[in-house]
Amino acid sequence: MYFVAEVNEKECSKYNCKQCVLFCPEPNCLNFRASTNSAWVWYDKCKGCEICVYVCSDLLKRHCIEMVMVTPKATAKS
Amino acid sequence: MGLEYVKISPGFEKYMPRDYVDLVKFGPFGKTYDVMELGQYKELVEDHPMCAGCYMAYFIRVFYAALPNPEDTIVLGTAGCARLALSQAAVPFVYGNYGDTNAVASGLKRALSIRFPDKHKDVVVVAGDGGLIDIGFGMTMHSWFRKEKFTTIMVDNEVYGNTGGQESGMSPKGVQLKMAPLGKKFDKINAVELAKIAGCVYVAKLAPTNPKRIARTVRRAILAARHFGPTFIHAYTSCNIEYSIPTRDVLADARNREKKDFKFYEWMTDEVKEFLEEVERKEKEVKR
Repeated sequence: MYFVAEVNEKECSKYNCKQCVLFCPEPNCLNFRASTNSAWVWYDKCKGCEICVYVCSDLLKRHCIEMVMVTPKATAKS
Repeated sequence: MGLEYVKISPGFEKYMPRDYVDLVKFGPFGKTYDVMELGQYKELVEDHPMCAGCYMAYFIRVFYAALPNPEDTIVLGTAGCARLALSQAAVPFVYGNYGDTNAVASGLKRALSIRFPDKHKDVVVVAGDGGLIDIGFGMTMHSWFRKEKFTTIMVDNEVYGNTGGQESGMSPKGVQLKMAPLGKKFDKINAVELAKIAGCVYVAKLAPTNPKRIARTVRRAILAARHFGPTFIHAYTSCNIEYSIPTRDVLADARNREKKDFKFYEWMTDEVKEFLEEVERKEKEVKR
């Protein structure tokens, strides 16, 4: 079980922002997909620090990212 | 060095690790990505063993995204947290003994300017407060006195984070740490003023709250070091373990410190200012 961030892509695509991507300390962990205009998390790289949640929920009040528990099987899919 | 060293020999593509192939295909070599495009290309740093929510790791991520010529750059580090991420990047990395990074960098820069007189090879030292201002103090100072042309970046976490929390010269006065239970009795060293007096031509102090500004500062420091002399950046990169900052509040802490003692500060000599204005004006024209 890992504690990782998950982006609600539907909600995220409503905004033109990328701020969580710019403030994540891990390289290529939070990425931005231009085709859907949303951020996405590479689960294998996420260490669960919640800085993206702070940026999205506390600073910008957009509430698009939440922390979830995933199993290794789910991470292998991503 | 140069772009040749990142290319894969023909016929070996399918045997190379996925990360390496991605780096050659989608990496920043030979292209110019703006720091605001982070997360849309393969970054130079790979997975590293630094703690969750470490803002030193964040600073290093932005630092690598800001390098003007990653293929012609050598990064030097020393014992401390920073080297854990620095050594995982696709840029040549030299590991100095504790404290001698600036001496190694001096020799390296001189050798490179003799070997490649027609090119700019950037040498950048990224070390912690212990490596530069405590244990490596003499060599840091002397490289500045001698006007060696390279950039020194201090990632200041205000503690010896790797060895259990001893106080360093950069810890703030009165702070209680695991290995300094009575509280620190002396003031934080004013590294920025020291650098100015010792002969640096570009000095900056920042907290990592604005990626665009970090990138601009790093870029300016490297470009100024190519032509004029030593440059220095003092960056606040909190240690969330030793200072017990919940990972979620790491950015909030950086923003808080920025309001207090890590307000953005930039100083440069007049000739550097003139040079940088000229460079940035030309870049704007190219973008148009």
